[in-house]
Amino acid sequence: MPRFIERRNPPADGPAIFLLSVGLSLVAALLLGGVLFAIVGADPLDAFATLFGEAFGTWRGFGFSLVKAAPLALIALGTVVAWRSGFGYLGFEGCFVVGAAAATAIGLAAGPEGAIGPLPFALFLPLALLVTFVAAGVWSGLVGALRAFYGGNEVLISLMSNYVGLLFVQYLISGPMRAPGGLPQSDRLAPETWLPFILPGTRAHAGILVALVAAVLVWGLLRRTPYGYEMIVTGLNPAAARYAGIPVKRRILTAAFLAGGFGGLAGLVELYGVQHRLVDGMSGGVGFIGIVVALLARLDPLWVVPTAILYGGMTVGADAMQRATGTPSSITFILQGLIVLFVLMSEVLRRYRLRLDLIAGKPDPEVQRP
Amino acid sequence: MSLDHLLSSAFLVTWLAAAVRLTGPVLLAALGETFTERAGVLNVGIEGTILLGALAAYLVSHATGAPALGLAAALAAGLLSNLLLAFLYVIVRASQVVAGIVFNGLAVGIASFTYRIAMGEVASPEPVAMFRPLDFGGLGRLPVVGPILFSHTVLLYLTLALVAVASYVLFRTEFGLRLRAVGENPKAAEAAGISVAHTRYVATLISGAGAGLAGGYLMLSEVGLFRDTIVAGQGFIALAIVILGRWTPWKAMIAAFAFAAAQALQLSLQLFGTGVPTQLLLALPYLLTILAISGLLGGRAVQPASLMIPYEKS
Repeated sequence: MPRFIERRNPPADGPAIFLLSVGLSLVAALLLGGVLFAIVGADPLDAFATLFGEAFGTWRGFGFSLVKAAPLALIALGTVVAWRSGFGYLGFEGCFVVGAAAATAIGLAAGPEGAIGPLPFALFLPLALLVTFVAAGVWSGLVGALRAFYGGNEVLISLMSNYVGLLFVQYLISGPMRAPGGLPQSDRLAPETWLPFILPGTRAHAGILVALVAAVLVWGLLRRTPYGYEMIVTGLNPAAARYAGIPVKRRILTAAFLAGGFGGLAGLVELYGVQHRLVDGMSGGVGFIGIVVALLARLDPLWVVPTAILYGGMTVGADAMQRATGTPSSITFILQGLIVLFVLMSEVLRRYRLRLDLIAGKPDPEVQRP
Repeated sequence: MSLDHLLSSAFLVTWLAAAVRLTGPVLLAALGETFTERAGVLNVGIEGTILLGALAAYLVSHATGAPALGLAAALAAGLLSNLLLAFLYVIVRASQVVAGIVFNGLAVGIASFTYRIAMGEVASPEPVAMFRPLDFGGLGRLPVVGPILFSHTVLLYLTLALVAVASYVLFRTEFGLRLRAVGENPKAAEAAGISVAHTRYVATLISGAGAGLAGGYLMLSEVGLFRDTIVAGQGFIALAIVILGRWTPWKAMIAAFAFAAAQALQLSLQLFGTGVPTQLLLALPYLLTILAISGLLGGRAVQPASLMIPYEKS
């Protein structure tokens, strides 16, 4: 290590340094983004104005931001529950599509021509939420069981389970659940089962409300109940938790079940709110972006929804920008990646400091001491 | 389609030849990944690295018409991009999974941006100069074994040679021993005078080289055209291959072939239009991988003990 970099021992901590590091990260990412805009010949300030103006400055765009944010927030909440409990789950792509498939099945069954339909919406929605949550929760619970009872590595298993889930749903829509017609997709759900729009004149659906309620529930569980406390202790130090008499395996199983459940609900809101039928490739990486959102929110359930809206809004703004000015939307993906990357890297600022006096070539007083 | 048809030699030859062909890129990426994971770093970023390698290969091969230069560019792109990852893994000590996922997202952005800038808006770009299949002085025209074994590009044979090299380096050299020591017990390794940071840096660069070359392989031997979706999860398949291959190069070769065979069979079956759900076939290797790490078979003893745990010098 060069002499002018010095380790902080202990690492700097506190809200000021946190705000400073996040602020610096944002500034650095936006500056680099500005350079990219300049490269393609767009005025950086104009570009940022379109990017954020569309998503948060127009009513319609804000509605789209909420649409994008709802599944992201739900997946992020699943991440919070799992990771806080020491369960490094990455299988949200799988949960998303399994949840969407379950939501399709119950949605078709409860439609006007379905087996149990037509159900009134007030009865249908709680039932659908429950069925979807349980289906996706059991899906991720299987990974939890492998970890809890057989010591399997949940990170790798859940990563692989994504593909099993995606292929399983691909099978469903090209076989058992396939609607007549050329495309592999399910029947369209009856409009009676769709999530209502919540902001007049926009496409914003009630999914964001589901996410908000879920965020409060997760917060309540982790911060206000002994059970949640035990889950967090399990995550911080499983050995200590065991000595304290916490049933670690069962807490991990719960975390796995809840994580998958929320991931499944993300599929449900996308299905009832946007797609209205099960199609291939519905998740499109949202299972991983949701994890990133959770990290940006520092695994804090109350920060998840605002962060998801910001992140979703940037995606909306990127599309608008590309339509309006022909600026490639890939710049926004770079921008999003850079923000997270710099936030990750800002950790270094907490642990090291630069000795400016040594860079300037002044002798190190400590070295001179005999 | 009848069973006879399935077992006909024409079908088998097509299937196996395709399987061998598809084995190459993922195996190359998996070989590199074996090194990082043996050093205790799970490099999820290889998915993005493959994409960047493919892009570099495309651009350079497009500009020069020389696929060999394209391959060199892919290698350079892999090394360069993994410098960043190594920094995140070793110095920042970020969660390896998180750093990898974020990097993958960033790589997609960078790749499609760079492609746009370099190529402009081309409606139908032409494929770049690619490596040609070898013939081995007529061996490639032999029935059955010719198409399966002797009609691939030079990249496949290089990759197979690298399996032996990787095996040797990992298990028969001091460097390999150090690397494995760092992955099993970094504290003890450090006490024995091995720099964990340095070793993990080098290991991450090796996986960057493997993944970058895999991208070049994909581009210059199979695809020839750039889209930002060409990798399509092959980096994650490589991760699975490393696990299924139990962190051993030659077993990784078998695992890679298993994945490729399932994929090739699915393609052929689709062609023939059977009633077999092809998704089941594709899911099988993943299920095998899950089984391999589930702990049901005691797989935990094989996994490098410090995998995914950032190391802090005390």
